[in-house]
Amino acid sequence: MIEFLAGAVTVGYLLAAGFFVRYWRRTAERLFLIFAVAFLLLALNQALAHVLAVVSEPNSFVYGLRALAFLLILLAIVDKNLKRP
Amino acid sequence: MEPAQPRIRTIGPLEDADFTDEFCRFIQAAIPSVEAAELLIALARRPDAELSPAAALRELSRGGTLSEAQAAGLLETFQARGLVARGGGGFRYAPATSELRAHAEMLAQAYNQRPVTLIRILYALRDSRIQSFAEAFRLRKRR
Amino acid sequence: MATFNFVLYALVMLTCLACMALLFRGYARSGARLLLWSALCFVGLSASNVLLFFDLVLFPTQIDLRVYRLSATLIGLAFLLYGFISEHD
Repeated sequence: MIEFLAGAVTVGYLLAAGFFVRYWRRTAERLFLIFAVAFLLLALNQALAHVLAVVSEPNSFVYGLRALAFLLILLAIVDKNLKRP
Repeated sequence: MEPAQPRIRTIGPLEDADFTDEFCRFIQAAIPSVEAAELLIALARRPDAELSPAAALRELSRGGTLSEAQAAGLLETFQARGLVARGGGGFRYAPATSELRAHAEMLAQAYNQRPVTLIRILYALRDSRIQSFAEAFRLRKRR
Repeated sequence: MATFNFVLYALVMLTCLACMALLFRGYARSGARLLLWSALCFVGLSASNVLLFFDLVLFPTQIDLRVYRLSATLIGLAFLLYGFISEHD
């Protein structure tokens, strides 16, 4: 069950990243590019966490990927509010 | 760069005043595609009839572009937006407010008189829906 | 190290909740369904984050909430993908 869920979540993140890339190409909105990268990192995080069978996330590099992804999203929000006076 | 709220300036001066912000908001919220517009117009042409999705598809002049499932989904969206009502036999054109009725009639008029313009607007608004995702992250409201 | 982890976790959680709130607000303003599905996605992600906290910080050895965490994330992603795919009709 966990394998299936982990795989599905990974694919889900990847598909979402794909859509964000498409939206970035269509609208030239930097936020979408950053979201795409963030979701790619989340996909990578999910895949690695499972492949490495890492249970204790907080103390590992893998958890860092997840935190990095959300930091990127935070960056996207900040960027959105800073540019264009 | 384009503003968050679509401002239709690509069409001739005669139509400008008709494509109001309210009308554009109506399209953005209720009419996701050209096929959706055609479906609603087809239902409006027969206001007394209750049509199933399959029957509604038959009413379309070029009905080959939508599947029955897609038509059903669109009709349910229209119902949620107060444009159609669901009866025993199917869906019936029944705008809940006079404003919705006016918008729907405007849609039909635009489709008949300025189809290319309407289609361009629909695609521009689709992009603006995507843009609204990005705009949602703007902390201070733009107006 | 623990403090650093806590700060990181708090940042992740706050960002997630902020996205959820901003997207709900955007949906209320524009009526674009895409924003509703996106907001619901972040509800799922936030729930997953909360469960992560329970799983790894509060009760690290007693329980394993991975199934629920993954399910919450998956449901959230399903909402998001449904919203994206609907845009292409």
